Amino acid sequence: MDSPILLLCKSHFNDDALAKIETLFETILDAVSVGGPVVIPYRRSTNAQTFNATAFTSNPSDGRHIDSVRFPGRNPQELRRFEALFRIIELSHEALLSGTLITKRSQSMVDEMVDNLAFTLGVGRGDLNIVATAKGLIAGQVQLMMRGGTSINCAESSDSGVLLPSISAVEKIDFQSVKWLLVIEKEGKGYPDLATRKFLATLHFVQPRLPMFALVDFDTHGISILRTYQYGSQRLDHEERTKVPRLRWLGIRSSDVLSQTMVTQDPSANNQDSQSSQDLSSQESIAYSVDALQDERPTKRPRTRRTKSHPSDSTAPLNEGDREKAVSVLRDICTTARLDSSGREHKLELQRMLMLNVKAEIQAVDDFGDITNWLDERLLSQSR
Amino acid sequence: MSKQYLTLHTVDQAHPTEIFALAPTPTTLISASGSSHILIHSTTTSPTFPLVQTLSNAHRLGCHHVTTARGLGSLGNTFVSVGFGGETKVWRRNNNPSSSETSESDKWSLYWTLPTPANKKEKGDVWAVALSADEGYLAATTSDGRIHVWDLEGKQKVQTYETGASAGGGGGGQQDGSNGVGSGSFAMAVDLSRDGKFTASGHENGGVYVFNNDAGRMVYSLSGLAKPIRAIAFSPGCKRLAAAGNAGIIAIYDMQHGEHVANLSATGSRPAWITSIDWNDTGEYLLSGSLDGKVRVWDVARGVCVATHSETESALWCVRWLPKSEKALAPGMGKGEMFAAAGANRSLTFYREATGS
Repeated sequence: MDSPILLLCKSHFNDDALAKIETLFETILDAVSVGGPVVIPYRRSTNAQTFNATAFTSNPSDGRHIDSVRFPGRNPQELRRFEALFRIIELSHEALLSGTLITKRSQSMVDEMVDNLAFTLGVGRGDLNIVATAKGLIAGQVQLMMRGGTSINCAESSDSGVLLPSISAVEKIDFQSVKWLLVIEKEGKGYPDLATRKFLATLHFVQPRLPMFALVDFDTHGISILRTYQYGSQRLDHEERTKVPRLRWLGIRSSDVLSQTMVTQDPSANNQDSQSSQDLSSQESIAYSVDALQDERPTKRPRTRRTKSHPSDSTAPLNEGDREKAVSVLRDICTTARLDSSGREHKLELQRMLMLNVKAEIQAVDDFGDITNWLDERLLSQSR
Repeated sequence: MSKQYLTLHTVDQAHPTEIFALAPTPTTLISASGSSHILIHSTTTSPTFPLVQTLSNAHRLGCHHVTTARGLGSLGNTFVSVGFGGETKVWRRNNNPSSSETSESDKWSLYWTLPTPANKKEKGDVWAVALSADEGYLAATTSDGRIHVWDLEGKQKVQTYETGASAGGGGGGQQDGSNGVGSGSFAMAVDLSRDGKFTASGHENGGVYVFNNDAGRMVYSLSGLAKPIRAIAFSPGCKRLAAAGNAGIIAIYDMQHGEHVANLSATGSRPAWITSIDWNDTGEYLLSGSLDGKVRVWDVARGVCVATHSETESALWCVRWLPKSEKALAPGMGKGEMFAAAGANRSLTFYREATGS
């Protein structure tokens, strides 16, 4: 197991997408030559993230609109849309012919157009050779061999991480001695973008036995992010290989928040020391029992005394928006006909969040910025 | 004098998921959980507390509160449940007063679902609920800190108490320009006094407010705990108000002058968040349940904890006294007071006073 594992990613060229784009061009040319209006079919993949009874009845089949973009347009907005869409089709065509990839900086309007064009043509956006830049960062003993012959060593800048390349630009991945993978919700990175999800899903596809964990905040965003990685998003449901259903939820959960509230106490409360030392001894016994496990699992560091001064700094009461969002995610989960075990767990944790009326950031479980002890404990118990 | 309570029976895994709420009637215990069903167990027929009715699909997203009328001689013909989706359901049954045994005609059925406001600006969510002793009125709290009072016979809202900035110092009648939608602190707990005079609410910001129902205005704004209030309860004689929550102690207020008269706190232990409190029928004892799994019985007059039970280490969400039964549950068991506790371990645990018989 210590020898490097080399895995060849299946590179996918899509002749289908090229043919569809060219058919589209022919239609446009025909229309121009007879002087008629130019119509580009364009279906919008609606973002139905929140359950809406009226939206459901108006779009009974799949919740998507059938639409088109015309030239000359019915209004100036449509003209701009036509220009943008035509340019996207043109760029995609060039990229497909030359076999290059176009990296597009994330810009929500263009982003949505590319997604909708892919959806209309019935292909993935990667098939159009237009890829979005990932916001995700990667760090660890992994080497990515790119199609152009270059390689990215993800171990080099372990402090800040390496910006994820598009998975379609990756030819091979050298996993070296990687035994598990942890996805962390990072402040300012927002919702999981398609490129990051595809990267993870492909990793999971080529290495299905590589345990993957997720560490997210205990709030509605954290659980939504987790669920997007596991189950995908409704808007981009036409994209292939974007889901990692076996991504395991490492934390943080209500129990982590609660154990922190147990440590929280009034300065006036007595026998603080005896209580803490009792806890340490009980945790120590847990640590010993896991030390006997196989060496495949993360190794246990010597436990340092956990001294939290203000764990409540990282926890906060829910506001009205949080409570509404929690109910909305809960409603989405309960709409699922048969809940799997992780769906049931998400449901319970959202219910507990509403009962406790508390949310917490990952920092709630760290030890003055050092989360390694907590991570070791969790990774060990989850690897069992 | 210390009291002794024994574990009488546990209905293991009564619900498929965590039990969030309990409410007793004179003959049953109603329980609700994160699943969609509400269960009703008999408390007067057998020491095994058999299941007598299941209300299937009562709340699709799960149910966090159930409430019944309290006090001696309460009818026990109405209960109210609130789901995580914010929907509030009123359930009734046709009780035959000549028979103490439950029969088929005594089954509960849905009487009314509270309407959600047509005005989008007005928050339609309901969190905590309390039912008046005569089963005629329901107090329901919202996440923006208001308490609505509903007339269950007339099926209409009869009062709204504001606790936000717009509520002013002493009166609830003032409203600002925002259509009366005051953004007060989340009202996590509510109770109605058994004489019908007062409504009390406990809030996320630690606020405790008491309203006079006849005058329709706030009479006391009580301080003391400063941390979120999760449970609030008037004593049966309506002279005291108990409030508890994240502070881990129980504050006792006098209702004649609105004074903070006592704190009940366990010595030598870390104060876990208290999720639930309940007065016994004589007003001598308070029951509390907390997130560390401990059930406690407090002698209110002496201000001490007289019994502690820790059958579970997982969170308790609700504890309730059961009305004193007319006859013993089983031969030789005595007629001592009973209480029930439930929470994260999904089981219903019943306790009874050790009467020495």
